Amino acid sequence: MSDKYLHRPSGLDSLGDPLPSIDRVLPRRLNADPENLERGLAQLVLTIVELLRQLMERQAVRRMDDGSLSDEQVERLGQTFMALSERMAELREEFGLEEEDLNLNLGPLGNLL
Amino acid sequence: MITLYAITDHPTPPVPRLGEMRVVPSGDLAAVCGPVIKGEVTAEALWQHEQLVEALMQDRDVLPVRYGTCLPDDAAAERTLQDNHAEFAASLDTVRGAVELAVRVFAALDRAHVPTPAAAPMTGAEYLRARARSAAEESDATVIVHSPLARAARACTVARVNRPGELLRAAYLVDRDQTAPFAAHVKEIQEGNPQLRITCTGPWPPYSFAGS
Repeated sequence: MSDKYLHRPSGLDSLGDPLPSIDRVLPRRLNADPENLERGLAQLVLTIVELLRQLMERQAVRRMDDGSLSDEQVERLGQTFMALSERMAELREEFGLEEEDLNLNLGPLGNLL
Repeated sequence: MITLYAITDHPTPPVPRLGEMRVVPSGDLAAVCGPVIKGEVTAEALWQHEQLVEALMQDRDVLPVRYGTCLPDDAAAERTLQDNHAEFAASLDTVRGAVELAVRVFAALDRAHVPTPAAAPMTGAEYLRARARSAAEESDATVIVHSPLARAARACTVARVNRPGELLRAAYLVDRDQTAPFAAHVKEIQEGNPQLRITCTGPWPPYSFAGS
């Protein structure tokens, strides 16, 4: 592998880096195999939910940044998004999905997330 | 069943004697096929696939085919080439003479704050502020690293970051003879930005630019 590094940070701190290519060799598409239909459907639904969660979280961050939220609202929104994020992680685990699985290839438009 | 490694131009140089690869031509395109890989998907099998595609890439332009793509027989491979001729030919033109370089940017270790809820109990406000910091860092990484590299590349794609502390995950389509200058460019950016850890790997087959 090391011969594939054109550049990496000095020192040992690149040890934590993931294998750069293996995730790109794995097939990345919705699994429509009848036996795995439930998982495939969960993957699709969770992808959409994750898209909405990210959009709303970004919106909340933007509103916090421009100062249009009270401290109490920031706290409440933060707790909501933290809980949503935890719940998503639980659901992913339940269906054996990785974070990277929650995406859709939109062809020429690229990936949804 | 046969497994598909890559799609390339025809005629094509002889394929390396690896993994029983052979060429199935159809018009001005060819599919490089091999016997189907049996058994479970292992990291080893993936690397073998990757190595075969990389060997092909040495002396020809290829559209790499993702691991696990199988067809019933040679006739099906020919039909696939015929049915998708326009798309394959256009994609081959896109990647002609170029390779893929992958760049990942992480926050420097002493600065990486990990905004995962599981790490430590946080208040809602702390969580939201951590998200805001990550968003700001990601946007900085885009400006500092991605923008100049994108200008030096023929094409680029940005994938979603999904690891704690990861700020940018991008792939660049770079002319074969521009690999070294591109890597030098990355080094230069790294030197000017110690707050980031930048890795650049390649050359890879142009997986991110081969269409679907």
